[in-house]
Amino acid sequence: MSLASPLQATGQPPPRRSLRDFFAIDTQPRVVVFAGTPGGRALIFAIGLLAVGRYFDTWATLLAVGAALAAAWLPKYRAPLLLTATWLATLTETLLSGNDFADHIGLVMAAEGIADLPAVGLATASLLVVVIGIRALLAHVRLQPKSLLARHPVLAMLALEAALCALSLPNLLPGWPRLLIWSLLVVVTPFIWFLPYAIIDQRLPSAGPVGLQMATLRPFWSPTYLPFGKGAAYLQKFLAKTPDDLAVTQIKGIKLLVWSNLLLAIQAVLGWLFVSHFDTPAVTRTIDAFLHGQPFPITVSWVALAYSTTQFALQIAIWAHLFIGIARLAGYRLPRGSWRPLESRTLMDYFNRFHYYFKELLVDFFFIPTFFSTFRKHPRLRMFFATFMAAAVGNALWHFVRDIDLVARVGLATALETFASYAFYCVVLATGVGLSQIRANNGIRPSPTVAGKLYSFVFVWSFVVCMHLFSDGSRQHSLSERLSFLASLFGVI
Amino acid sequence: MQADAKQKLRDFVADALIKHGDRNPLADADLLFTSGRLDSFSTMNLVMFLEENFAIDFSDFEFDVGLIDSINLIERFVDTRL
Repeated sequence: MSLASPLQATGQPPPRRSLRDFFAIDTQPRVVVFAGTPGGRALIFAIGLLAVGRYFDTWATLLAVGAALAAAWLPKYRAPLLLTATWLATLTETLLSGNDFADHIGLVMAAEGIADLPAVGLATASLLVVVIGIRALLAHVRLQPKSLLARHPVLAMLALEAALCALSLPNLLPGWPRLLIWSLLVVVTPFIWFLPYAIIDQRLPSAGPVGLQMATLRPFWSPTYLPFGKGAAYLQKFLAKTPDDLAVTQIKGIKLLVWSNLLLAIQAVLGWLFVSHFDTPAVTRTIDAFLHGQPFPITVSWVALAYSTTQFALQIAIWAHLFIGIARLAGYRLPRGSWRPLESRTLMDYFNRFHYYFKELLVDFFFIPTFFSTFRKHPRLRMFFATFMAAAVGNALWHFVRDIDLVARVGLATALETFASYAFYCVVLATGVGLSQIRANNGIRPSPTVAGKLYSFVFVWSFVVCMHLFSDGSRQHSLSERLSFLASLFGVI
Repeated sequence: MQADAKQKLRDFVADALIKHGDRNPLADADLLFTSGRLDSFSTMNLVMFLEENFAIDFSDFEFDVGLIDSINLIERFVDTRL
């Protein structure tokens, strides 16, 4: 090995390292080797605890980081460790006072005047029923891979959701029957989008054990409604195969967790600057002020909207990096959940980058089935319609199901009525993404010049900021009120 | 598959990779989708490419991304369907 400096060897100064190279510690052999030593592992564990501890409480942090690293370092026990951690996390969440399950069940308990047992008890019992049901369902799919359920898992899950929702409407089955059905609905809903991945996996000849499928249903690294990492088969493809690969994956996980924390800090600084210092109002307040005839200055309203969009984009990235970071600690080198959305050149590109696993869910369950079954002789229409089914129909369904508690809170009619704004957002987004897709397929690409990149940035993010007005999820204002407010921002009203 | 058709396929895949910011070398055996180098939308673009250029009807069988996961696999798949 030559110890000569690059300058001596070539006569040229060494190339300047970019900031990105500086942070690429996962490509430095010494760091990778260290990550596999006991000292390196202890450091990964410590940084993991510190990074995740900003989001979860102590017990959940220990469970998430400990289980992820144990699964990675004890591969022989990976499946039982993941299974135990996932369901321990779910059970803990269910037993905690003030959790979503109990809160949502409490709505119907109050409406039906039932106070014989705590909502937490009912949530736990329902969880037990759901676990047994899921286990039986997956076993059924393995035995009957051609059954209707196995071939159309998304339709089956949405039908189940709709049936439980319909049966739990007021006055249909009053009293205990309604409460029991509603409890099942509340507890099964977070699993609704995980189950189709598990069912599809079970149909594969290479399907892993049912236990591993159960371990990836709302896994402990992402206890949300969205499958970050899809299902067991997808995860298996990204599992580190060698010790070096594992070390690199875990370093990448740590980097992502640290990045998540940095974004959280940026979010806090922006909050201090815009809210505490400049007193930027919330978007809902600007709409209220407009509706009451005392609007804020247009500039203030635009700043409020842009600030709210920024906070939302940061929130998506922060959580996505947290979840994928923990999954990487477990040895799964998953693609990032949000990848440089500010570099989006087109709406299609934005849709791909901004919320990757949500986009993948829409593509897997809505785009692909539509693409293979409709308008086969009309390529452009076929692509547009499939994109529309994903970005509009799938998107709307996902969000309506996520907020299913509103059916008990405000009634089905109001839940649907207040959803009009988000549905409008979905239609406009889908149209924009669909047109962007067609343009790309026709070879129309954004200019690679600096001016072209600036134009792309302004176009994409102007669209995103304007549409955020309809997608903020507050449900406090009607579609027409929001449209009027948007018109006022352009000086039309 | 003819050599020029395979080159056209390589160019198409390379272009898709560049669109995803992936400028790493592409070997014929490299996995495209299950490796995460390309995403689900790219799958459908590739399907359309194969439909247009090789007249393959994907409604004839149950689609599995594993059939078209590398240049070599696509070649094998196309050869069996022609």
